[in-house]
Amino acid sequence: MLNVQSYQEEGVLQETPATGLTRRELFLASAAGVASVTIVSLAKAHDDVDEAAELIKRLTGRIAIASDRLHLVMPRTFPNGYTVPLNVEIDSPMTESDYVRYVRVVAPRNPLIEVATFHFFPQLSQPRVSTRIRLAEPQDVLAFAELNDGTLLMTKTWVDVATNGCA
Amino acid sequence: MLSSMPRIQVPSSATKGEIFQVKALISHQMETGLRRDNEGDVIPRKIIHKFVCRYNGADVFVADLHEAVAANPYLEFYLRATESGRLEFVWHEDGGGVYSLAHQLLVAQ
Repeated sequence: MLNVQSYQEEGVLQETPATGLTRRELFLASAAGVASVTIVSLAKAHDDVDEAAELIKRLTGRIAIASDRLHLVMPRTFPNGYTVPLNVEIDSPMTESDYVRYVRVVAPRNPLIEVATFHFFPQLSQPRVSTRIRLAEPQDVLAFAELNDGTLLMTKTWVDVATNGCA
Repeated sequence: MLSSMPRIQVPSSATKGEIFQVKALISHQMETGLRRDNEGDVIPRKIIHKFVCRYNGADVFVADLHEAVAANPYLEFYLRATESGRLEFVWHEDGGGVYSLAHQLLVAQ
């Protein structure tokens, strides 16, 4: 039941106007050939937990709790934005009564903020994954994980990239 | 453009209960739909938007991928060995393309 709900929420998200606005603006900017970096730097935000929590609330409609059970490991600085290593791991016993449903990664300063969502299964998989992502500019990358009881945990990490990986 | 060749790295055997690592890689442009060609036309989006790993028919790891995943998407994840059987890896591309690989895992009791 809850599982179905979380999938539905993701489906709805694609069309949520609240999140679409920023993305559309940035998309139009880059489509028009304007360096999106310039546009975004005007709106350079002060990164704090409140802002991250606010974004997650817009995406999921729910409140996330900053947690040190969620580990998002990325290089602090990286020479290019095309293939930035990402490792995310959640401390969880992964039993039927206590497990992680998914972890979702977003890059709020990318023209399209969604990066990836990884789904895990109790007893069968570990909530630990590595991949490589694109970043348009230096930013706080966010990860948030939903546990089986519906709790949302969040964390973020600052990554400085020298080149735009989304151009 | 490269042909999309999927590759996996996974142990051939494991002991029951053991956590093992899986590495999955596919050659793919992951065209974001944000770029334009020389004529100024938008190059349509074509990405691998989903990756699924099944173990004896059951989903054990699923990834929804978006434009911000790097070209030649690489995934490293961890599964628990339960019983001998078939591991199946499926990459879903925009437009309905599917790439898949299968692997036989031997699990010692």
